[in-house]
Amino acid sequence: MIYIAIIIGCIIGALIGINAPVIPYTYSTFLAIAVVAALDSVFGGITSVLKKNFDLVIFISGFFCNSLLSIALTYLGQKLNLDIYLAALVVFVGRMFTNLTIIRRYYIEKWTVKLEEKRKSMGQ
Amino acid sequence: MNKKTISLVLGLMCVVLSFGIAVQIKTINGTGTTISTNTRENELRDAVLKAKEKYDNLYKKLEDMETQLETERTNSTQNNDELTKLENTIKGGNKILGLSEVKGNGIVITVDDNQNIALSSWYADPNWLIVHDIDIINIVNELKNVDAEAISINGQRIVSTSAIECDGNVIKVNGQKIGAPFVIKAIGYPELLMGLDRFGGYLDYLRDERFLNVDIEKVDKEDIIIPKYTGVMKFEYAESK
Repeated sequence: MIYIAIIIGCIIGALIGINAPVIPYTYSTFLAIAVVAALDSVFGGITSVLKKNFDLVIFISGFFCNSLLSIALTYLGQKLNLDIYLAALVVFVGRMFTNLTIIRRYYIEKWTVKLEEKRKSMGQ
Repeated sequence: MNKKTISLVLGLMCVVLSFGIAVQIKTINGTGTTISTNTRENELRDAVLKAKEKYDNLYKKLEDMETQLETERTNSTQNNDELTKLENTIKGGNKILGLSEVKGNGIVITVDDNQNIALSSWYADPNWLIVHDIDIINIVNELKNVDAEAISINGQRIVSTSAIECDGNVIKVNGQKIGAPFVIKAIGYPELLMGLDRFGGYLDYLRDERFLNVDIEKVDKEDIIIPKYTGVMKFEYAESK
């Protein structure tokens, strides 16, 4: 159910995006960092659903806070001529990998348990 | 928290996500380069893009204004014979000056550099294998000789003030840089214009002795469209007597 919603959401978003106007080049870095923040939020959301502690308020506020902070950092970095957004990028991508690990473990465990049960039933 | 709400929220998030990705891809594609981390370079690039956008907008506005002027003119001259005559005179004059888009029968000539001969096996002057400004000038002269009524090179209309000049590895027509392949469109009597393809003509010379890629095509369905001259014609010193 959740994965179907994600896929449908991706398709709708891509269709809207293709027909949307182009943004100025200066802001493309901000958009890129916001995209990474959104990606991180989606991964975090899936993980929390699997852990059964999904909270709507935390999820949405987390997304907005993360994107705003990373955009602010990018802006500050442009002013200081220092690529601070790389730090935000490292954090987001690192967390994405951690979340992916949790998702992977969850499904592998589920799969192993299923396999085990099957084997037991076959043995009987 | 039920599953429906969760999947709705995640789906919405994915809409935002893929929307952002699509817009980003479009932006980067439009710029034609990968993301640069150099802020100064980005600023310059942005300035160029902004100027281009502004120019495009202004040009669009100008075109809108011109069509508006056109409709106003036809509206106001509709019921007056004398004014209609004057209007037609203006239209005819603009056609001759190259200030209006024209369409009709004619030919399309495509001239391109020779890219098949490797320079390592070519012992003569490599300039021989490239289209030069003088070649374009000669072709345009030949076209004028056979009564071409309107000529354009890569979308640049040839008018009375047009110059065809060498500008390094490109050619400048009307002050605009154009590069190979050169598509020369001419409107006139097609059979006559096809005379350019005669044995011993300049196109024959380009094809057989200079080894350039020359292609000539007759169009007799009135679908050659030659754009109007977009520059400004200034006459400050010449006075009509």
